[in-house]
Amino acid sequence: MASTNTIRILDGNTFVVSEDTGDIEATPSEPTGLFSLDTRFLSKWVLTINGERLNALSFDDLQYYEARFFLVPGMATHYIDAKLSVIRERAVGGSFREQLVILNHDEKPVDLEIRIDAGSDFADLFQVKDEILNKKGEIYSEVEANCLRLGYRRGNFVRETSIVSSAPARYDRDGFAFSIHLEPNEQWNTRIDVETIAVGPGGRDLRLGVGTRNVERLALQHDLEKWIADAPKLNSQHEALAETYQRSLVDLAALRFSPLSLGGATLPAAGLPWFMTMFGRDSILTCLQTLPFTPALSKTTLRILASLQGTRFDDFRDEDPGRILHEMRYGETAAFEEQPHSPYYGSVDATPLFLILLDEYERWSGDVALVKELEQESRAALRWIDEYADLVGTGYIWYERRNTDTGLENQCWKDSWDSISYSDGKLPPFPRATCEVQGYAYDAKTRAARLAREFWGDPAYADQLEQEAAKLKERFNRDFWVEDGEYFALALDPDGRQCDVLSSNIGHLLWSGIVSHERAEKIAQHLVGPRLFSGWGVRTLAEGEIRYNPIGYHNGTIWPFDNSFIAWGLRRYGFPEEAAVIASGILDAATYFSGRLPEAFGGYQRDLTKFPVEYPTACSPQAWSTGTPLLLLRTMLGLEPHEGHLSVDPRLPVGMGRIEVLDIPGRWGRVDAFARGRLEVHNLVD
Amino acid sequence: MDATTRFFEEIDRREYEPRLAKTAGTMRVDLQEGPHTMHWFLRIDHGRISVSRENQEADTVIGTSPGLFEDIAAGREHGIAAVLRGDMTVAGDPRLFVQVERTFPGNPDARGPRRKFGQEVR
Repeated sequence: MASTNTIRILDGNTFVVSEDTGDIEATPSEPTGLFSLDTRFLSKWVLTINGERLNALSFDDLQYYEARFFLVPGMATHYIDAKLSVIRERAVGGSFREQLVILNHDEKPVDLEIRIDAGSDFADLFQVKDEILNKKGEIYSEVEANCLRLGYRRGNFVRETSIVSSAPARYDRDGFAFSIHLEPNEQWNTRIDVETIAVGPGGRDLRLGVGTRNVERLALQHDLEKWIADAPKLNSQHEALAETYQRSLVDLAALRFSPLSLGGATLPAAGLPWFMTMFGRDSILTCLQTLPFTPALSKTTLRILASLQGTRFDDFRDEDPGRILHEMRYGETAAFEEQPHSPYYGSVDATPLFLILLDEYERWSGDVALVKELEQESRAALRWIDEYADLVGTGYIWYERRNTDTGLENQCWKDSWDSISYSDGKLPPFPRATCEVQGYAYDAKTRAARLAREFWGDPAYADQLEQEAAKLKERFNRDFWVEDGEYFALALDPDGRQCDVLSSNIGHLLWSGIVSHERAEKIAQHLVGPRLFSGWGVRTLAEGEIRYNPIGYHNGTIWPFDNSFIAWGLRRYGFPEEAAVIASGILDAATYFSGRLPEAFGGYQRDLTKFPVEYPTACSPQAWSTGTPLLLLRTMLGLEPHEGHLSVDPRLPVGMGRIEVLDIPGRWGRVDAFARGRLEVHNLVD
Repeated sequence: MDATTRFFEEIDRREYEPRLAKTAGTMRVDLQEGPHTMHWFLRIDHGRISVSRENQEADTVIGTSPGLFEDIAAGREHGIAAVLRGDMTVAGDPRLFVQVERTFPGNPDARGPRRKFGQEVR
């Protein structure tokens, strides 16, 4: 992963990751570059003046789509006696543009040889991520009179980078150069346009007609201002909370992604840098988190995922009729079917989560038309749960990949290879049924029953779904309950044996409502108990388990998004204090990251490290981490749509002071929510 | 009969395709081989479909070889991957293509999900 001194700017799925000088020198371990359509279009972009590299005095990442670098000649180890200043200002918006300004502060005129070395390896993002680099096609570089064209060709698959400078330049195969003369106090500048082109036969770009190419800076700025203006306002005595809220809104704007085929509609992409694409699970969970604040995302996400719902059996893509997609990619490995993401369907939670989002969205928005529009897709999703996901025939959602080469082994949110285990540390065989997915299925059926009864005019189907949900709940509470530990098992193996570790997944069960009432208190105690709760948040796996590791990706780290759903679940079952404990721990952690929560941080005890330790390869910003503070706000304020109104039932920790959230949009128009911190949460933890 | 003809004739005969119920527009498929181009023309009106061989202007125009389209119509090749690869082109509104692509058959050799203990799920 890019180290912390890299600068990232992005727009949709075009983004630039560079050093703090603005230079790009990609190596397998330094994944910098200009990326678009899951392909690296520049792997080298190095500025020199008279053969010398430049040194960064400072940089500003002005907005998510633009950055400015102030540079002087010479390296940092030398005494800097700058007679020259160099300003590099860059933006992405479909393409990549860089404005280069050079100022002569000397009393004498200077002659300068300015050069930018440019090159590209056209690596697929998967190759960068997994460090596989042996291209099957041919890389070329063509010099034209006013342009340098870098390209890659494999059959009809052609990707090109075209580089054009506004000031006349001498182009060669490895870059371009200028010889300039500057009088005292004179300045020189040029604008460099870098276009990323996916060339189809006939020279057409794949993306034509999408409407997101070459968005000018000003348009991006207006769009961002409108985005912020449309969202509710947060007033808080708690300054860090206000900062976190603002950061989340801006990052959500940055992560909006417009799929190629869908005419400019946006949904949240999963995260920078590896996941700037649509993911069923991540997009849906982010929408659920942000619904009270940015409801428009939910509508487009539901529509887009519905339009790409599975329709046939495809073993390579793990596609079944009715299944909601996992991940879409546009790069070379997807194109040549070396990876299955065109799209890939290997997730078992996206399908029930799709139904949950549709119902939750209607409860907030009153958008009955969308519920009617997506009836057919909803029914297909429900059929998938019963007909194709029950691989053992015991009434649960199971997973076992059919694509054994490049498919995902674990098709739940904890998707690393070793995330599901027994308490002796051994990994179970397949198929596997993880607990939280059964909760989602229960919730999906319960909510779909409401939709069927109220909007689809099918009360018989509603009754059937409710009966199925009730039976699932009964079965689940019998089969997954770990008697001696008094919690729910992480998963079942195909013989029905429990993966009997204590994990954060039990919090999602509260959110889904599948936990029988008498067991909820025990689950709540575990969640804020010492084995799971670190002081910052709930660990993915409890301390004391054999596979527990405070920096194990899904075996001990703390995931902010996970915690936000756990807090929501605690409130659902009437544990507002426990919810507030988790909310305030995670929001405290956010202050160490300037309001931008990472994907995950270490599960170390809070009083041991004093600050949250960021997981080394975490993506940032990441959509569902960005959505986390918004869901925590909703949870603490007790915002709940209720019979056409918004009910507010705040339970805030004392340290939060007074919070106002103004203009919360929904079927009620816009309403305000006010709250004051009154809960003494520390008593609970100690 | 080849799979391409069968695909178009079948959707024409069905008259209504629920997976295209939210789709309206016209799509032309140009299958080019040497100097010859064969055309298929689809008019989609919220699930109702009519197919002809006319060479008319359309909202979306798909271009590829008859051989590749034959493989797609038979489920042996995948439409979206083919577009990403540049072996098939989409001009005009890509949404229509993505929706029609969902109606192509799956791979005839696909196993589908199977129950652990013998019986097939599909």
